[in-house]
This record gives sequence, structure tokens and C-alpha cells, in this order.
Amino acid sequence: MKPSRISCLSGTGIITALLTLMIITGVGLARGGVLFSPGDLNAIPKDQPLGGVATHAEIGGRCAACHTAFWEQELMADRCIACHNNLIQMGQNFHVVMLAQSKSLQCKHCHTEHRGALASLTTLQMERFPHNDATRFSLQSHQRNQDGSTFQCEDCHGADFAIFQVNWCLECHLEIEGAQIESHAAVYSLECLACHDGLETLGRGFDHNLTSFALTGEHTTTLCSDCHAGAGSLADMEATRVECAFCHNHDDPHAGGYGRECEQCHNPQDWEDIAFNHQQTAFPLLGAHAQVSCQGCHQFTSLQNTPTTCFACHAENDPHEAQFGQDCATCHTVEGWDKVTFDHSLSAFPLTGAHTSVACTDCHLNNVYRGTAQVCQTCHVQDDIHAGQFLQDCAACHVTETWEQVNFDHSSAAFQLTGAHVDAVCSQCHLNGQFVGTSQQCVACHADPMYHQGLFSQNCDSCHNTSAWVPATFNQAHRFPINHGRRGSSCSTCHPSTLRDYTCYGCHDHNRANIESEHREEGIGNFNNCVRCHPTGREEEGGDGGGDD
Amino acid sequence: MHTRTTNRELWYAVIAILCISAAYLFVVLWYEGIPRARGLFGHSIGILGFLLMLMTETLYSLRKRSRRARWGRMSGWLDFHIFTGLVGPYMVLLHTSWKFNGLAGVVMLLTVVIVVSGFIGRYIYTALPRTADGAEIEASVLETQINSTNTELNAWLLNSSEESVRSLARQLSFQSPQSQSPLRLLFGRTFDDWRYRLFWRRELKKLGLQIGTQIEQLNKLLQRQRALQRQMASLAMARRMLALWHAVHIPIGMALFAAAFVHIIAAIYYATLLR
Repeated sequence: MKPSRISCLSGTGIITALLTLMIITGVGLARGGVLFSPGDLNAIPKDQPLGGVATHAEIGGRCAACHTAFWEQELMADRCIACHNNLIQMGQNFHVVMLAQSKSLQCKHCHTEHRGALASLTTLQMERFPHNDATRFSLQSHQRNQDGSTFQCEDCHGADFAIFQVNWCLECHLEIEGAQIESHAAVYSLECLACHDGLETLGRGFDHNLTSFALTGEHTTTLCSDCHAGAGSLADMEATRVECAFCHNHDDPHAGGYGRECEQCHNPQDWEDIAFNHQQTAFPLLGAHAQVSCQGCHQFTSLQNTPTTCFACHAENDPHEAQFGQDCATCHTVEGWDKVTFDHSLSAFPLTGAHTSVACTDCHLNNVYRGTAQVCQTCHVQDDIHAGQFLQDCAACHVTETWEQVNFDHSSAAFQLTGAHVDAVCSQCHLNGQFVGTSQQCVACHADPMYHQGLFSQNCDSCHNTSAWVPATFNQAHRFPINHGRRGSSCSTCHPSTLRDYTCYGCHDHNRANIESEHREEGIGNFNNCVRCHPTGREEEGGDGGGDD
Repeated sequence: MHTRTTNRELWYAVIAILCISAAYLFVVLWYEGIPRARGLFGHSIGILGFLLMLMTETLYSLRKRSRRARWGRMSGWLDFHIFTGLVGPYMVLLHTSWKFNGLAGVVMLLTVVIVVSGFIGRYIYTALPRTADGAEIEASVLETQINSTNTELNAWLLNSSEESVRSLARQLSFQSPQSQSPLRLLFGRTFDDWRYRLFWRRELKKLGLQIGTQIEQLNKLLQRQRALQRQMASLAMARRMLALWHAVHIPIGMALFAAAFVHIIAAIYYATLLR
């Protein structure tokens, strides 16, 4: 069976561990702390014994002489002072100053022991000495010299590290940063510690963006002294005004005319990049106004008092010479002078038809708008193709849509248009644009057809009417019964080619084969001229013989 | 049966020790001196070394006794135990900055003792026949394996046409280690094996035989037979010695850790906290 606990916790194991602890305790009690071999204590005697001993080596092995138990309130520093109380009783000295400035600073931060009988008791380690707490000046940025060597106390304090002269800053930093630090000192004085605390909070690594005034654009390359001129302390720096005009008043090209709130239009990236939102003002910039430079309207005068009437800016380029007063917006828009929105229907001459798309200047010559004549002839005299036949009253026939759309009431003329004449084009009757004096005779337009064979006069209307040439009505004497066989409604039934010729074969049973057959039976050979034997169309008129012609 | 034929953990330990030594040398050259025990490097290597030693002391033992969790093979844990048991003490040695006085010196001395003890324990441990998982094999199983090997060897001898080889095999096969004392068999097995290999090569050379597949097969059979017979003969002694070793090794380890804890607490209290 496997054992239930690990082998090191066996009886012998536990007993051995306890035995070992007992031995260690016993040796510790008998020989003191030497068991821990902490290293030899300093054995260099001082001028006078302190705490009953001349050297620390004399208390070797008595750990409790310096070290405290964890349950004790007292610290090792208290035990140091218990012997070295002369350090705080000698008036104002380095240790008194240090201990007074920093509550957390303890002896062990600068002094150490157990490093050998002849080793120095002071081994100030930069990273351990709380220079920041003790002096309010951090050594974070003073770790290495320019040549890379480790920074030493002597570099700032000289031979006596209890002394510090502020102008020693300048000695080093003039070598490092040259003329820049010289001008910096000239502006801000030599009291370096008034602003700098060694943490670079106000030096090269200072992040201005962590303040209430973040540096952007051109401000990032501006010298500190340009804004903080004359500031001699951190308080002065912090009290620097943040209003633009505080620094930029002297180079205000507006001479104060636009007020002191530069940031309303400008930004630190570029003065020329103006980002003022004019839309939020009482005069939003629309159309062509959006492209106009500020000076185009504001003329370096006060921004707030700029007039908003059109004429304030556009009076000198009014082409109408004040014909329409000063309210340009009545006709024009901000999109452009050409974009005119005048409602001509409100005028005495409303624009209709083709007039609506005509440029204003076509009618209003020389920019004269008032008093423009309203008669057609004023503008259209050169368009009159009638050569003045109708005087100036174009509107009597024409409308504004197109010239071609004529609206003449022919019923008012001497020649009334009826029948097919209504649909006739004017120019079919009025040749060559001649309207006045046009003949009213039919033959003036209609030539006598070949069909008539000159049988009739020029009075077409004696047979025809204006509705159509066919059918015609013939009311004159006709030798052959015109209603023969009740087929007389159309001349072409009997006169298919001309009125002078006739045929009987155009109707009922008068076909040539039958006629020929019937006449041959009767012995009639000459039967071509029907009306010679049948003058009224009756069959019996031919008699019983007939004869040859 | 599982016989430990590789020393993988020892090689890993050697590589780790070489790497640590290189780092140590780099620090020595960089700072132009032996790194102090209280310095960053000295402290770091001491802490790491101690943690490895603590793992050595506890992990393998816990795995052996865990009834439910079967994480990994026992042999693997033993390899890790040996690895940490070598690398950890080496790091602690470097932490001392080569000063061995006081309690720290005692701790270091105990560390060296426990490492040496560990080597002895491993030597005894590997004398016991085990399965692939590291579990011990009982004597009856071992006897079966011996019989099986003998049968295999006899069959090989019957099939062999070379009289000289059969003679050599019989000669070596009959050199039973059972005639020696169990203690001698247990601790002298490395020497015996070395002497056997020497004899084998010499005889082969004398007979003018080349090492071929058949000869190598014979050699393996003879070695297996020899190892099994030796394990059988020294089984009881090996078990007794391993128990005795445990009885000594564990108290030394406990003494070491008790002293080490006192050293660590004192170092933290006096050096780190500077009370």
C-alpha cells in the first residue's frame, strides 16, 4: 500500500527538521548573529566613542544593537540616532536639514554596514537616496553626464554635498545647450529650481499638452519665452494668459476691428486657414457670397456692424443705375447676377410663350427696364415678313408661343373659310406672303380640270361647294335624263373619262355582250351611239329597225 | 521489463548548467567581479535555484503518492526530479558568491550532500527491474523473463553453425553472476558490465569474427540474460539498500530545507527590509 503522505513529512524527516531548527537557534543564542554571516562591521575608530563603543565592529554579533524585532515599533534608524544623537544636536547641518525635509529619509538610504572592517559606511546610491523627497529635486534626469559617466554628487555639490549653488546648473547646461539656455536664463532668471524639479516637468521632456493649454500647430515650435515672456517662476508660468489676443495683439492685421476672440475664425495650425462658420450669423453666406473673401464685405471694419443690405456692397456695380431701388434681391439671387428671379407676371407685360425664355436684354436694350414699349413691332420689326401689310398689330394673328402658330379669325375677313378651306394652310392661298388683296375667285386657286373639257364657266360654286369637289350638283339643262335608271347621282357613271364622252355600259344590264347580242337579233349593226336611237334612255325609242349611221 | 537505457534527464541538466554557467560568466565579465549574493543576479539565481530544489523535494513525492491524479508517467517525473535536483543546487551554488561561512555555508554543504545522496539513490534505483511506467517488477515475473531469455538463447545456439561462436556463447552464458555477493552485484555492476564488454570484444577479435547481425543478436541476448540474473540475485539487497537510502536521504533534505528557510527569512528581514 502506498504511504498517504509525502516522504519528506515522515517522522524522521520532521524530527530532523526540528532538530536542525533547534541547532540553529542554539547557535544563534550562543554566538549571536554571526550564524547569518552578514559580513564584518566597520572597524575604523571615530574621534570619540558613541554609545559606548568606538567602532561598529565592537558590537559585532549583537544584532539587536542596530536591528529591531518585527514586533517593535522602533526602527533601525531610531537605534542609529540613539547612538549618533550628536548629528541632530549640532544645530543646522546637513543631516538635520535632510531629516527635516523628508520624513521618509532614513540613515540606511545613505549608509550601510557589513561590507568589511575598512569599508566606507557611506555608500550613497543614486537610485536609493531619496533625493526627490529630501530636496524636492529629482535626480531622474541627472543619471549620466554628457560623456556618459555616472552622475556624482560632486557634479552639482562640489566638495561639500551639503552645499548647492544654483548657478552651477548654468555652468553645465551652457555647455550642453549653449545659446538656448543663455537666452532662457536671460528671460526666466537664474532661479532654475523655481521651475525645474529634475523630473523634466518644465524642461525638454515637459508635455505642455497636460496643461490647460495644449500646444498645437504653430504653437508647438514657438519658443517658451514668446508666450511666457518675463515669467520668473512656475507661478508666473501658470499665470500666463491663454487668450489669443494676449500674445497676438501686436500682429493683429484687423487692428482690433474683429474683436479679440481670434479663435472664432483662426486656428493655431495656420492663420490663413480661417474656419469661421458664417452660417451661424444673421447673414449666412450662400451662393457666390461663399467664395468672397472676408475683406470683400468687411473691409477691415468692425465685424458686427457690417451692413447686410445688397446695396452696401453692390451699389457701385448696379447696372440699372438705381432704376429698381436698392433691393437687388427682388430680381437677383446670391447664386449669381445672371440668376434673375423677377416675376414678370406682376408687371404690365406678363411673359408668355416664347417670351419666357428670352433674355431680359433682348427686350430691355441698354439696361433700360422702365418704359419698355409693349407693342410687338418694337422688338419684332425686323421679323415682320408681311412687309407692313398688317401694320403693327402682330397679335391680331400671332400668339407668343411661336410665329407659326397663327390665330387669325378669317370670319372677320371678306372671304369666309368654310369646308375644306378651314384646314388649308394660309400660304396655299396667300402666295408669297401676300395677304391683303388676295383674289376670292375659285379659279385664283383652283384650275379648271380636264374632266370638264371647258364645258363650264369659272363659277365653280354653281356645281361644287367648299366641303369637297365631289359630289357636285348639276342643275342646268341636260339632254339625257339625268336621273336615268335612278343612277344620276354621279356624273362619272355615264361620263367616266370626260364630260364630253359618255357610256351606257357603266350600269345595270348594259354590258357590251348583251347589247350586241340583242341588237344583232334585231338586225341592228350600228349600236355604238346609244342616245342617237335612245335620246331619253328608253328601250322602245329605238323603234323596230333603226339603221346604220 | 523496462531497463533505463538513456540518461536524457542528465543531458538536459548538463545543457541547462552550461547555459547558466555562460550567463554567470557574462555577468562576471560585465561587472568585472563575482556577483554578490545580495545583488540582482545573485538574488535571482538563488531564488530560482531554491524554487527548483523545492520542486525537487515535493513534486515527485506528491506524484508518487497521488491516488487520483495520474499526470504523466512516474519515470517522467523522476527525470524531472533529477533535472531540478541538479540544476537547482547548481544555481544555489552560484548564489553563494563562493563564500561558505555561517548558516549559508551549512545550507550549501547540505545541498552538496543531498545531491551526492541523490546520485547514489539513482544508482540503487536503476538496479531494480521496473516496468515502462517505473513500477517495480516482482521476483516471479523476473524469473519468467529469465527462463524466456534462456530458451531464446538455447534456440539461437542450436541454430548456429559456427562452433567457435557457440563455444563463446556457452562460455559467457555460464559465467553466472549469482556466484558473487549481492552487495558486490549491486554496486559493482558498472564495473562488471565494463569488464564483460572488454572480454567480449577481445574474444571476438581472437576468433576473428566480424560484428554482424547474428553476433549482435547474440550479444544482446547474453547481456539481457546477464542483467536479469544479476537483478534476480541482488533484488533483495537492492530493495534493502533503497529503503536505507530513503531513511538517510529524506532527513538530510529536511535539514537542508529547514536551514534554507531560516537563511531566507533572515535575508529578507535583515537585508531586504533592513529592519
